[in-house]
Amino acid sequence: MGDLLKFVLILSFSIIISRIITLYLRRSFKDKVSKDAGETILKLFYYGTIIIVFIAILPLTGLDPSGLLLAGGITGIVLGFASQNIVGNLISGVFLMIEKPIKIGDQVEISGTSGFVTDIRIISTLIRTYDGLLVRIPNQQVFTTNITNVVGYPARRFELKFGIRYSDDADAAIFLIKDLVDKEPFALLNPDPSVFVNELGESSVDLIVRIWAPISEWAALKNKLLWAIKKTLEENGIEMPFPPQRLVYLHNVPDKNQTPEELKQNQEKEIESVLNYGERVLT
Amino acid sequence: MYGNYDPPFSIEKEGISISVEELEKRWVYKRTLGTDTVEKLIIGDGKHIIISPVEPLNTPKEITPNLLIEFEKTLLLAAGARKKIFLTFPVEIGVFISDKGNKNLQILDVLTLARKKFTLYGPVSNGIICKHWKSGIYSVSPSPNPLQEGIMELTLRNTTSEWASISKAVFSAYGMRIFYDSDVFMRAHMDILNKNTAETGFELQHISGELKSFRPKEQETRKEAIEIYNRKLDFVPVSLTFDMRLGF
Repeated sequence: MGDLLKFVLILSFSIIISRIITLYLRRSFKDKVSKDAGETILKLFYYGTIIIVFIAILPLTGLDPSGLLLAGGITGIVLGFASQNIVGNLISGVFLMIEKPIKIGDQVEISGTSGFVTDIRIISTLIRTYDGLLVRIPNQQVFTTNITNVVGYPARRFELKFGIRYSDDADAAIFLIKDLVDKEPFALLNPDPSVFVNELGESSVDLIVRIWAPISEWAALKNKLLWAIKKTLEENGIEMPFPPQRLVYLHNVPDKNQTPEELKQNQEKEIESVLNYGERVLT
Repeated sequence: MYGNYDPPFSIEKEGISISVEELEKRWVYKRTLGTDTVEKLIIGDGKHIIISPVEPLNTPKEITPNLLIEFEKTLLLAAGARKKIFLTFPVEIGVFISDKGNKNLQILDVLTLARKKFTLYGPVSNGIICKHWKSGIYSVSPSPNPLQEGIMELTLRNTTSEWASISKAVFSAYGMRIFYDSDVFMRAHMDILNKNTAETGFELQHISGELKSFRPKEQETRKEAIEIYNRKLDFVPVSLTFDMRLGF
Protein backbone atom coordinates (compact mmCIF):
# COMPACT_ATOMS: atom_id res chain seq x y z
CA MET A 1 0.00 0.00 0.00
CA GLY A 2 2.91 2.28 0.93
CA ASP A 3 4.63 1.64 -2.43
CA LEU A 4 1.44 2.38 -4.33
CA LEU A 5 1.12 5.69 -2.47
CA LYS A 6 4.76 6.47 -3.31
CA PHE A 7 4.02 5.66 -6.95
CA VAL A 8 1.04 8.03 -7.04
CA LEU A 9 2.93 10.79 -5.19
CA ILE A 10 6.05 10.59 -7.39
CA LEU A 11 3.96 10.53 -10.55
CA SER A 12 1.87 13.50 -9.39
CA PHE A 13 4.99 15.39 -8.37
CA SER A 14 6.64 14.73 -11.75
CA ILE A 15 3.48 15.91 -13.56
CA ILE A 16 3.49 19.16 -11.54
CA ILE A 17 7.23 19.71 -12.09
CA SER A 18 6.88 18.99 -15.85
CA ARG A 19 4.04 21.51 -16.07
CA ILE A 20 6.08 24.18 -14.27
CA ILE A 21 9.11 23.58 -16.53
CA THR A 22 6.85 23.59 -19.61
CA LEU A 23 5.38 26.94 -18.56
CA TYR A 24 8.85 28.35 -18.01
CA LEU A 25 10.05 27.02 -21.39
CA ARG A 26 6.95 28.43 -23.13
CA ARG A 27 7.87 31.89 -21.85
CA SER A 28 11.52 31.40 -22.86
CA PHE A 29 10.54 30.24 -26.36
CA LYS A 30 8.31 33.27 -26.90
CA ASP A 31 9.68 35.33 -29.83
CA LYS A 32 12.60 32.89 -30.19
CA VAL A 33 10.95 29.80 -31.64
CA SER A 34 7.88 29.67 -33.84
CA LYS A 35 4.68 28.82 -31.97
CA ASP A 36 4.12 25.51 -33.80
CA ALA A 37 7.66 24.26 -33.27
CA GLY A 38 7.72 25.48 -29.69
CA GLU A 39 4.48 23.70 -28.83
CA THR A 40 5.72 20.44 -30.39
CA ILE A 41 8.93 20.58 -28.38
CA LEU A 42 7.00 21.34 -25.19
CA LYS A 43 4.62 18.44 -25.77
CA LEU A 44 7.52 16.08 -26.46
CA PHE A 45 9.21 17.25 -23.29
CA TYR A 46 6.07 17.05 -21.14
CA TYR A 47 4.88 13.62 -22.20
CA GLY A 48 8.44 12.26 -22.52
CA THR A 49 9.22 13.21 -18.91
CA ILE A 50 6.02 11.63 -17.61
CA ILE A 51 6.59 8.40 -19.58
CA ILE A 52 10.20 8.10 -18.35
CA VAL A 53 9.15 8.71 -14.73
CA PHE A 54 6.24 6.26 -15.12
CA ILE A 55 8.51 3.48 -16.38
CA ALA A 56 11.14 4.26 -13.74
CA ILE A 57 8.69 3.96 -10.83
CA LEU A 58 6.66 1.09 -12.27
CA PRO A 59 8.44 -1.51 -10.04
CA LEU A 60 6.77 0.20 -7.05
CA THR A 61 3.44 -1.21 -8.22
CA GLY A 62 4.91 -4.70 -8.42
CA LEU A 63 5.02 -4.79 -12.22
CA ASP A 64 8.28 -5.62 -13.98
CA PRO A 65 9.00 -3.01 -16.68
CA SER A 66 11.77 -5.08 -18.33
CA GLY A 67 9.24 -6.85 -20.55
CA LEU A 68 7.76 -3.50 -21.46
CA LEU A 69 11.21 -2.12 -22.22
CA LEU A 70 12.00 -5.10 -24.46
CA ALA A 71 8.74 -4.70 -26.34
CA GLY A 72 9.32 -0.96 -26.52
CA GLY A 73 12.84 -1.51 -27.82
CA ILE A 74 11.69 -3.78 -30.63
CA THR A 75 8.87 -1.41 -31.49
CA GLY A 76 11.40 1.43 -31.48
CA ILE A 77 13.68 -0.34 -33.95
CA VAL A 78 10.77 -1.13 -36.29
CA LEU A 79 9.44 2.41 -36.06
CA GLY A 80 12.95 3.81 -36.43
CA PHE A 81 13.47 2.05 -39.76
CA ALA A 82 10.00 3.00 -40.95
CA SER A 83 10.31 6.64 -40.02
CA GLN A 84 13.99 7.21 -40.73
CA ASN A 85 13.38 10.37 -42.77
CA ILE A 86 10.90 11.81 -40.31
CA VAL A 87 13.25 11.23 -37.40
CA GLY A 88 16.12 12.69 -39.45
CA ASN A 89 14.09 15.78 -40.15
CA LEU A 90 13.00 15.98 -36.54
CA ILE A 91 16.56 15.78 -35.19
CA SER A 92 17.75 18.27 -37.83
CA GLY A 93 14.92 20.58 -36.73
CA VAL A 94 16.08 20.39 -33.13
CA PHE A 95 19.67 21.13 -34.15
CA LEU A 96 18.48 24.02 -36.35
CA MET A 97 16.78 25.50 -33.30
CA ILE A 98 19.88 25.05 -31.16
CA GLU A 99 22.49 26.19 -33.69
CA LYS A 100 20.25 28.90 -35.17
CA PRO A 101 21.97 29.40 -38.55
CA ILE A 102 18.72 31.06 -39.65
CA LYS A 103 15.95 32.91 -37.86
CA ILE A 104 12.35 33.65 -38.78
CA GLY A 105 12.37 36.76 -40.99
CA ASP A 106 15.90 36.19 -42.35
CA GLN A 107 16.51 36.41 -46.08
CA VAL A 108 18.23 33.18 -47.12
CA GLU A 109 19.19 30.99 -50.02
CA ILE A 110 18.81 27.27 -49.34
CA SER A 111 19.16 24.63 -52.07
CA GLY A 112 18.63 27.22 -54.78
CA THR A 113 15.54 28.68 -53.12
CA SER A 114 15.84 32.35 -52.13
CA GLY A 115 13.39 34.23 -49.93
CA PHE A 116 12.28 35.04 -46.41
CA VAL A 117 12.17 32.39 -43.67
CA THR A 118 8.55 32.47 -42.52
CA ASP A 119 8.64 29.53 -40.11
CA ILE A 120 11.03 26.94 -38.72
CA ARG A 121 8.95 23.93 -37.81
CA ILE A 122 10.01 20.72 -36.14
CA ILE A 123 10.06 18.77 -39.44
CA SER A 124 10.40 21.45 -42.12
CA THR A 125 11.33 25.07 -42.81
CA LEU A 126 9.01 27.37 -44.73
CA ILE A 127 10.39 29.94 -47.16
CA ARG A 128 8.43 32.69 -48.88
CA THR A 129 10.25 33.34 -52.14
CA TYR A 130 10.66 36.87 -53.46
CA ASP A 131 7.93 35.98 -56.00
CA GLY A 132 5.54 35.25 -53.14
CA LEU A 133 5.60 31.45 -53.39
CA LEU A 134 5.60 29.21 -50.33
CA VAL A 135 8.37 26.60 -50.40
CA ARG A 136 8.61 23.87 -47.77
CA ILE A 137 12.10 22.46 -47.31
CA PRO A 138 12.65 19.38 -45.09
CA ASN A 139 14.87 20.25 -42.14
CA GLN A 140 17.35 17.50 -42.99
CA GLN A 141 18.00 19.21 -46.30
CA VAL A 142 18.27 22.62 -44.62
CA PHE A 143 20.72 21.27 -42.07
CA THR A 144 22.96 19.39 -44.49
CA THR A 145 23.06 21.91 -47.35
CA ASN A 146 24.85 25.25 -47.72
CA ILE A 147 22.81 28.10 -46.32
CA THR A 148 23.46 31.65 -47.50
CA ASN A 149 22.04 34.05 -44.96
CA VAL A 150 21.74 37.37 -46.78
CA VAL A 151 21.09 39.26 -43.56
CA GLY A 152 23.64 37.43 -41.40
CA TYR A 153 25.81 40.52 -40.93
CA PRO A 154 24.72 44.11 -40.31
CA ALA A 155 26.12 45.48 -43.59
CA ARG A 156 26.90 44.21 -47.06
CA ARG A 157 28.74 45.47 -50.12
CA PHE A 158 27.41 45.89 -53.62
CA GLU A 159 29.07 46.84 -56.85
CA LEU A 160 28.08 49.05 -59.79
CA LYS A 161 29.90 49.09 -63.12
CA PHE A 162 29.98 51.97 -65.59
CA GLY A 163 31.83 52.42 -68.87
CA ILE A 164 32.65 55.95 -70.07
CA ARG A 165 34.10 57.16 -73.37
CA TYR A 166 37.87 57.39 -73.80
CA SER A 167 37.43 61.09 -74.58
CA ASP A 168 35.76 61.71 -71.16
CA ASP A 169 37.63 62.72 -68.04
CA ALA A 170 37.66 59.65 -65.75
CA ASP A 171 38.83 61.75 -62.77
CA ALA A 172 35.81 64.02 -63.18
CA ALA A 173 33.50 60.99 -63.38
CA ILE A 174 35.04 59.55 -60.20
CA PHE A 175 34.61 62.90 -58.42
CA LEU A 176 30.94 63.13 -59.45
CA ILE A 177 30.23 59.55 -58.37
CA LYS A 178 32.01 60.02 -55.02
CA ASP A 179 29.98 63.18 -54.41
CA LEU A 180 26.72 61.33 -55.12
CA VAL A 181 27.70 58.44 -52.85
CA ASP A 182 28.66 60.86 -50.09
CA LYS A 183 25.21 62.47 -50.23
CA GLU A 184 23.46 59.13 -49.76
CA PRO A 185 22.75 58.57 -46.04
CA PHE A 186 22.75 54.79 -46.33
CA ALA A 187 26.08 54.57 -48.21
CA LEU A 188 28.20 53.80 -45.17
CA LEU A 189 31.21 55.94 -44.27
CA ASN A 190 32.95 52.92 -42.79
CA PRO A 191 33.83 50.57 -44.52
CA ASP A 192 34.53 53.40 -46.93
CA PRO A 193 33.17 53.30 -50.48
CA SER A 194 35.59 53.03 -53.40
CA VAL A 195 35.35 54.30 -56.97
CA PHE A 196 38.14 53.45 -59.40
CA VAL A 197 39.06 52.70 -63.01
CA ASN A 198 38.92 48.94 -63.26
CA GLU A 199 39.71 48.29 -66.92
CA LEU A 200 40.55 49.98 -70.20
CA GLY A 201 37.96 48.22 -72.31
CA GLU A 202 37.51 47.81 -76.04
CA SER A 203 35.41 50.92 -76.37
CA SER A 204 35.14 52.35 -72.85
CA VAL A 205 37.03 53.17 -69.69
CA ASP A 206 35.35 50.89 -67.13
CA LEU A 207 34.69 52.25 -63.65
CA ILE A 208 33.70 50.23 -60.60
CA VAL A 209 31.80 51.64 -57.61
CA ARG A 210 31.86 49.56 -54.42
CA ILE A 211 29.59 50.62 -51.58
CA TRP A 212 28.75 49.16 -48.17
CA ALA A 213 25.20 49.66 -46.96
CA PRO A 214 23.03 48.52 -44.04
CA ILE A 215 21.62 45.10 -44.81
CA SER A 216 18.04 46.39 -44.85
CA GLU A 217 18.81 49.20 -47.31
CA TRP A 218 21.32 47.90 -49.84
CA ALA A 219 18.91 46.82 -52.57
CA ALA A 220 17.01 50.13 -52.64
CA LEU A 221 20.26 52.08 -52.50
CA LYS A 222 21.74 50.06 -55.37
CA ASN A 223 18.76 50.75 -57.62
CA LYS A 224 18.69 54.43 -56.68
CA LEU A 225 22.41 55.00 -57.22
CA LEU A 226 22.56 53.11 -60.51
CA TRP A 227 20.18 55.52 -62.19
CA ALA A 228 21.36 58.61 -60.29
CA ILE A 229 24.97 58.05 -61.37
CA LYS A 230 23.96 57.49 -65.00
CA LYS A 231 21.91 60.71 -65.01
CA THR A 232 24.56 62.77 -63.24
CA LEU A 233 27.33 61.65 -65.57
CA GLU A 234 25.23 62.46 -68.63
CA GLU A 235 24.24 65.86 -67.20
CA ASN A 236 27.95 66.62 -66.94
CA GLY A 237 28.70 65.60 -70.52
CA ILE A 238 30.12 62.18 -69.65
CA GLU A 239 28.50 59.48 -71.74
CA MET A 240 28.38 55.74 -71.67
CA PRO A 241 29.27 54.43 -75.15
CA PHE A 242 27.40 51.58 -76.76
CA PRO A 243 29.42 48.43 -77.32
CA PRO A 244 31.20 48.43 -80.73
CA GLN A 245 29.08 47.21 -83.64
CA ARG A 246 30.78 45.91 -86.80
CA LEU A 247 28.80 46.06 -90.03
CA VAL A 248 29.89 43.69 -92.78
CA TYR A 249 28.65 44.28 -96.36
CA LEU A 250 28.83 41.25 -98.64
CA HIS A 251 29.04 42.00 -102.33
CA ASN A 252 30.68 40.72 -105.52
CA VAL A 253 32.47 42.94 -107.98
CA PRO A 254 30.10 43.07 -110.96
CA ASP A 255 31.33 41.74 -114.30
CA LYS A 256 31.60 44.60 -116.74
CA ASN A 257 30.04 42.42 -119.49
CA GLN A 258 26.94 41.59 -117.40
CA THR A 259 23.66 43.06 -118.52
CA PRO A 260 21.51 44.82 -115.85
CA GLU A 261 19.13 41.80 -115.78
CA GLU A 262 21.99 39.37 -115.15
CA LEU A 263 23.35 41.64 -112.43
CA LYS A 264 19.97 41.72 -110.71
CA GLN A 265 19.65 37.90 -110.88
CA ASN A 266 23.14 37.46 -109.37
CA GLN A 267 22.27 39.83 -106.51
CA GLU A 268 19.07 37.86 -105.78
CA LYS A 269 21.09 34.60 -105.75
CA GLU A 270 23.56 36.17 -103.35
CA ILE A 271 20.80 37.24 -100.98
CA GLU A 272 19.27 33.76 -101.22
CA SER A 273 22.58 32.10 -100.38
CA VAL A 274 22.99 34.37 -97.34
CA LEU A 275 19.44 33.49 -96.24
CA ASN A 276 20.16 29.78 -96.72
CA TYR A 277 23.35 30.17 -94.71
CA GLY A 278 21.29 31.75 -91.96
CA GLU A 279 18.81 28.88 -92.02
CA ARG A 280 21.57 26.29 -91.93
CA VAL A 281 23.12 27.98 -88.95
CA LEU A 282 19.77 28.16 -87.24
CA THR A 283 19.02 24.50 -87.82
CA MET B 1 10.40 77.16 -33.42
CA TYR B 2 10.27 74.73 -30.48
CA GLY B 3 7.23 74.98 -28.25
CA ASN B 4 3.46 74.44 -28.08
CA TYR B 5 1.07 75.69 -30.71
CA ASP B 6 -2.71 75.81 -30.90
CA PRO B 7 -4.17 75.32 -34.40
CA PRO B 8 -4.61 77.15 -36.67
CA PHE B 9 -1.02 78.34 -36.95
CA SER B 10 1.75 78.68 -39.47
CA ILE B 11 5.48 79.08 -38.88
CA GLU B 12 8.46 79.40 -41.14
CA LYS B 13 12.10 79.24 -40.14
CA GLU B 14 15.39 78.13 -41.73
CA GLY B 15 13.54 76.85 -44.80
CA ILE B 16 11.12 74.80 -42.70
CA SER B 17 7.46 75.63 -43.09
CA ILE B 18 4.94 74.06 -40.70
CA SER B 19 1.23 74.84 -40.64
CA VAL B 20 -2.00 73.38 -39.31
CA GLU B 21 -5.03 74.90 -40.96
CA GLU B 22 -8.72 74.12 -41.09
CA LEU B 23 -9.99 72.90 -44.42
CA GLU B 24 -13.56 71.63 -44.89
CA LYS B 25 -14.05 70.97 -41.17
CA ARG B 26 -10.82 69.01 -40.95
CA TRP B 27 -7.38 70.05 -39.80
CA VAL B 28 -4.59 69.73 -42.32
CA TYR B 29 -1.00 69.44 -41.13
CA LYS B 30 1.44 70.55 -43.80
CA ARG B 31 5.22 70.61 -43.58
CA THR B 32 7.69 71.62 -46.27
CA LEU B 33 11.47 71.35 -46.19
CA GLY B 34 13.15 71.88 -49.54
CA THR B 35 11.42 69.56 -51.98
CA ASP B 36 10.17 67.29 -49.20
CA THR B 37 6.51 67.84 -48.32
CA VAL B 38 4.35 66.03 -45.77
CA GLU B 39 0.58 66.45 -45.50
CA LYS B 40 -1.64 64.79 -42.91
CA LEU B 41 -5.30 65.09 -42.00
CA ILE B 42 -6.25 65.52 -38.36
CA ILE B 43 -9.75 64.73 -37.19
CA GLY B 44 -10.41 66.01 -33.67
CA ASP B 45 -10.68 69.39 -31.98
CA GLY B 46 -8.92 70.99 -29.07
CA LYS B 47 -5.56 69.49 -29.94
CA HIS B 48 -2.12 70.90 -29.22
CA ILE B 49 0.82 70.75 -31.58
CA ILE B 50 4.18 70.40 -29.88
CA ILE B 51 7.43 70.97 -31.72
CA SER B 52 10.35 69.53 -29.81
CA PRO B 53 13.85 68.26 -30.47
CA VAL B 54 14.00 64.47 -30.48
CA GLU B 55 16.75 61.83 -30.53
CA PRO B 56 18.67 62.22 -33.80
CA LEU B 57 17.96 58.69 -35.00
CA ASN B 58 14.63 58.86 -36.78
CA THR B 59 15.49 60.27 -40.22
CA PRO B 60 15.64 59.36 -43.04
CA LYS B 61 14.55 56.03 -41.58
CA GLU B 62 14.82 54.50 -38.15
CA ILE B 63 17.34 51.70 -38.70
CA THR B 64 19.50 51.95 -35.58
CA PRO B 65 19.27 53.33 -32.05
CA ASN B 66 22.99 54.16 -31.95
CA LEU B 67 24.68 57.50 -32.55
CA LEU B 68 28.41 57.58 -33.27
CA ILE B 69 30.11 60.93 -32.73
CA GLU B 70 33.48 61.06 -34.41
CA PHE B 71 35.89 63.65 -33.00
CA GLU B 72 37.53 65.98 -35.50
CA LYS B 73 40.84 65.44 -33.70
CA THR B 74 41.89 62.42 -31.64
CA LEU B 75 41.88 63.21 -27.95
CA LEU B 76 44.46 61.78 -25.54
CA LEU B 77 43.33 61.47 -21.94
CA ALA B 78 45.85 60.91 -19.17
CA ALA B 79 45.57 57.92 -16.82
CA GLY B 80 43.03 58.50 -14.10
CA ALA B 81 42.02 61.89 -15.58
CA ARG B 82 38.51 63.31 -15.59
CA LYS B 83 37.72 66.05 -18.09
CA LYS B 84 34.60 67.84 -19.24
CA ILE B 85 34.40 68.68 -22.95
CA PHE B 86 31.70 69.96 -25.28
CA LEU B 87 30.68 68.34 -28.53
CA THR B 88 27.90 68.94 -31.00
CA PHE B 89 25.27 66.42 -32.08
CA PRO B 90 22.69 66.44 -34.89
CA VAL B 91 19.22 67.63 -33.96
CA GLU B 92 16.00 66.19 -35.29
CA ILE B 93 12.77 68.10 -34.94
CA GLY B 94 9.73 66.14 -33.85
CA VAL B 95 6.19 67.37 -34.40
CA PHE B 96 3.65 65.86 -31.98
CA ILE B 97 -0.07 66.17 -31.51
CA SER B 98 -1.60 65.90 -28.05
CA ASP B 99 -4.70 66.47 -26.00
CA LYS B 100 -4.79 69.39 -23.59
CA GLY B 101 -2.14 69.07 -20.91
CA ASN B 102 0.24 67.26 -23.27
CA LYS B 103 -1.60 63.99 -22.68
CA ASN B 104 -1.94 61.22 -25.23
CA LEU B 105 1.02 62.24 -27.39
CA GLN B 106 1.18 61.06 -30.98
CA ILE B 107 4.04 61.73 -33.36
CA LEU B 108 3.09 63.51 -36.58
CA ASP B 109 6.40 64.10 -38.28
CA VAL B 110 10.18 64.16 -37.81
CA LEU B 111 12.52 66.29 -39.89
CA THR B 112 16.09 67.48 -39.75
CA LEU B 113 18.37 70.11 -41.18
CA ALA B 114 21.46 68.17 -40.13
CA ARG B 115 23.48 65.90 -42.39
CA LYS B 116 22.21 62.34 -42.47
CA LYS B 117 24.85 59.65 -42.73
CA PHE B 118 25.35 56.17 -41.36
CA THR B 119 28.44 54.17 -40.57
CA LEU B 120 29.46 50.78 -39.25
CA TYR B 121 31.07 50.67 -35.81
CA GLY B 122 33.37 47.67 -35.59
CA PRO B 123 34.06 44.89 -38.09
CA VAL B 124 31.58 43.72 -40.72
CA SER B 125 30.99 40.40 -38.95
CA ASN B 126 29.90 41.77 -35.59
CA GLY B 127 29.79 45.55 -35.87
CA ILE B 128 26.75 47.75 -35.40
CA ILE B 129 25.18 50.29 -37.70
CA CYS B 130 25.29 53.81 -36.23
CA LYS B 131 24.11 57.26 -37.26
CA HIS B 132 27.31 59.21 -37.90
CA TRP B 133 28.15 62.72 -36.79
CA LYS B 134 31.47 64.54 -36.86
CA SER B 135 32.08 67.07 -34.12
CA GLY B 136 34.79 69.43 -33.02
CA ILE B 137 35.99 69.27 -29.41
CA TYR B 138 35.25 72.44 -27.45
CA SER B 139 36.39 73.47 -23.98
CA VAL B 140 33.52 75.93 -23.65
CA SER B 141 29.98 75.46 -24.80
CA PRO B 142 29.64 76.31 -28.53
CA SER B 143 26.64 78.18 -29.96
CA PRO B 144 25.34 76.18 -32.92
CA ASN B 145 22.02 76.67 -34.70
CA PRO B 146 19.55 74.93 -32.33
CA LEU B 147 17.45 73.72 -35.25
CA GLN B 148 20.44 71.90 -36.68
CA GLU B 149 22.91 71.04 -33.93
CA GLY B 150 22.78 70.49 -30.20
CA ILE B 151 25.43 70.77 -27.50
CA MET B 152 26.62 67.71 -25.64
CA GLU B 153 28.46 68.16 -22.40
CA LEU B 154 30.60 65.04 -22.17
CA THR B 155 32.47 64.06 -19.03
CA LEU B 156 35.38 61.79 -19.88
CA ARG B 157 36.79 59.57 -17.17
CA ASN B 158 39.85 57.45 -17.74
CA THR B 159 39.71 54.75 -15.09
CA THR B 160 42.76 52.91 -16.45
CA SER B 161 46.39 53.39 -15.56
CA GLU B 162 47.35 54.18 -19.15
CA TRP B 163 46.77 57.00 -21.63
CA ALA B 164 43.52 56.67 -23.57
CA SER B 165 43.29 57.73 -27.19
CA ILE B 166 39.69 58.68 -28.01
CA SER B 167 38.45 59.44 -31.51
CA LYS B 168 34.80 58.40 -31.32
CA ALA B 169 31.99 57.81 -28.87
CA VAL B 170 28.88 55.70 -29.40
CA PHE B 171 25.65 56.49 -27.56
CA SER B 172 22.39 54.59 -27.42
CA ALA B 173 19.19 56.53 -28.03
CA TYR B 174 17.58 54.63 -25.18
CA GLY B 175 18.33 56.77 -22.19
CA MET B 176 19.08 59.99 -24.11
CA ARG B 177 17.90 63.03 -22.20
CA ILE B 178 17.54 66.13 -24.36
CA PHE B 179 16.74 69.60 -23.00
CA TYR B 180 15.99 72.72 -24.95
CA ASP B 181 15.46 76.44 -24.67
CA SER B 182 17.52 78.79 -26.79
CA ASP B 183 19.78 75.81 -27.43
CA VAL B 184 19.44 72.02 -27.46
CA PHE B 185 21.43 70.31 -24.73
CA MET B 186 22.47 66.85 -23.58
CA ARG B 187 24.72 65.81 -20.72
CA ALA B 188 26.59 62.52 -21.14
CA HIS B 189 29.53 60.63 -19.74
CA MET B 190 32.13 58.29 -21.16
CA ASP B 191 34.11 56.05 -18.85
CA ILE B 192 37.21 54.37 -20.24
CA LEU B 193 37.15 50.96 -18.56
CA ASN B 194 40.16 49.34 -20.22
CA LYS B 195 42.28 49.55 -23.36
CA ASN B 196 39.41 48.63 -25.68
CA THR B 197 36.22 49.18 -23.73
CA ALA B 198 34.36 52.30 -22.75
CA GLU B 199 30.93 52.85 -21.27
CA THR B 200 28.75 55.73 -22.35
CA GLY B 201 25.52 56.96 -20.84
CA PHE B 202 23.43 59.99 -20.12
CA GLU B 203 22.91 61.98 -16.99
CA LEU B 204 19.59 61.29 -15.40
CA GLN B 205 16.60 63.54 -15.32
CA HIS B 206 15.28 63.01 -11.83
CA ILE B 207 11.58 62.50 -11.97
CA SER B 208 10.59 62.16 -8.36
CA GLY B 209 9.82 65.31 -6.36
CA GLU B 210 12.41 64.91 -3.63
CA LEU B 211 15.18 64.58 -6.17
CA LYS B 212 14.23 67.72 -8.09
CA SER B 213 16.50 69.83 -5.87
CA PHE B 214 19.48 67.86 -7.20
CA ARG B 215 18.78 68.87 -10.77
CA PRO B 216 21.68 70.61 -12.48
CA LYS B 217 21.07 74.27 -13.15
CA GLU B 218 20.94 73.85 -16.93
CA GLN B 219 18.14 71.33 -16.62
CA GLU B 220 16.08 73.66 -14.45
CA THR B 221 16.12 76.45 -17.00
CA ARG B 222 15.67 74.26 -20.05
CA LYS B 223 12.58 72.24 -20.87
CA GLU B 224 12.81 68.51 -21.30
CA ALA B 225 12.37 67.37 -24.88
CA ILE B 226 9.94 64.62 -25.82
CA GLU B 227 11.85 61.39 -26.23
CA ILE B 228 10.65 58.97 -28.86
CA TYR B 229 12.90 56.06 -27.88
CA ASN B 230 12.29 56.15 -24.15
CA ARG B 231 8.55 56.22 -24.83
CA LYS B 232 8.96 52.88 -26.61
CA LEU B 233 10.24 51.24 -23.44
CA ASP B 234 7.78 49.80 -20.97
CA PHE B 235 9.62 51.47 -18.12
CA VAL B 236 11.22 54.82 -17.33
CA PRO B 237 14.93 54.07 -17.70
CA VAL B 238 16.88 54.75 -14.52
CA SER B 239 20.26 54.08 -16.03
CA LEU B 240 21.09 52.87 -19.51
CA THR B 241 24.66 52.57 -20.68
CA PHE B 242 26.29 51.54 -23.90
CA ASP B 243 29.36 49.29 -23.92
CA MET B 244 31.86 50.30 -26.57
CA ARG B 245 33.57 46.93 -26.80
CA LEU B 246 34.90 47.54 -30.29
CA GLY B 247 37.27 50.35 -29.38
CA PHE B 248 37.06 54.11 -29.06
